[in-house]
Amino acid sequence: MKNPFTKRVDYKALDDRELVALAKEDMDAFGELYERYLQKIYSYVFYRTGNAHDAEDLTAKVFFRALSHIATYVEKGVPFQAWLYRIAHNLVANWHRDQGRRKIIALDEYVVHSLKSEAPDRVTEEREEQNQLLQAVRRLPEDRQQLLLLKFVEQMSNAEIGAIMGRTEGAIKSLYHRTLLALREEMEMLQNSDRNRRLDGSEG
Amino acid sequence: MQDLLDAITTGLQNGDGVDSLIAQSDLPQEDADDFVEMIQALQTALTPLEPREEFSTILHADLLEGESSLLGRLRGMPARVHVAAFLAIFFGFVLFALRRLFGSETAQDMQEEAVVTPL
Repeated sequence: MKNPFTKRVDYKALDDRELVALAKEDMDAFGELYERYLQKIYSYVFYRTGNAHDAEDLTAKVFFRALSHIATYVEKGVPFQAWLYRIAHNLVANWHRDQGRRKIIALDEYVVHSLKSEAPDRVTEEREEQNQLLQAVRRLPEDRQQLLLLKFVEQMSNAEIGAIMGRTEGAIKSLYHRTLLALREEMEMLQNSDRNRRLDGSEG
Repeated sequence: MQDLLDAITTGLQNGDGVDSLIAQSDLPQEDADDFVEMIQALQTALTPLEPREEFSTILHADLLEGESSLLGRLRGMPARVHVAAFLAIFFGFVLFALRRLFGSETAQDMQEEAVVTPL
């Protein structure tokens, strides 16, 4: 039961820094941080793992780890958001290591979900294109995948991405440039192999 | 080139036109079209996802209510409650120890009486 004489705090009006300071002793403040970042962390982890089950498991671990360390967290140039993403990044990296392979995961679950309201022919075509693109993204090195997710899923600025990845804005721009070039190559390779497979199929 | 790609991406994300950006650059039109198409495809494919409501609710409860029911609640209580709780636990322990002590003595006495008492 809450103390009725305690002053009611409007957590939604507070910024992350104020909430983090309160969350060291106040669970409701941590609850507000949870509300703010659950979807973001879940999306990030989902795209990095490719399935809902592991995404839920790792998302839970991220927040439990954040809760257990928040009392000792000190903002030294790394904002709370960046700290949380770093926890997520480390857990996902461990997860990939435990899996013992770089999984090329069919993101059918996501693609079907996002396209089911459209016309069937168009859905098939777009699903194929999206699957191919997501496959190409997942073939990229870890840091490039992370950059694309933070830029497109989380719509972060280069400065915010830099804070999470521990790089300067200039380095992020440069990495983005190299990532797009690599992605274009990956897409070409996938399209060529797809074309060859079809040709082999029609000949055989 | 990296500045241009960054500006094109920001422009597309904001829903602005990027033709003037491309026209001012020395990037060949074919390359520019390739990049614009790829960035638009990334925008469509990489969108935020919602976790299951059941998952969010359970995780919220596991994180916050588990803690608040024990440590969190205790932490939030005034100092006099902490003192009262400490005293209650302390005297409870003393009472328990005394009962064990006297209880065992009584049992021992009864045993001795049973041995002494002739049948």
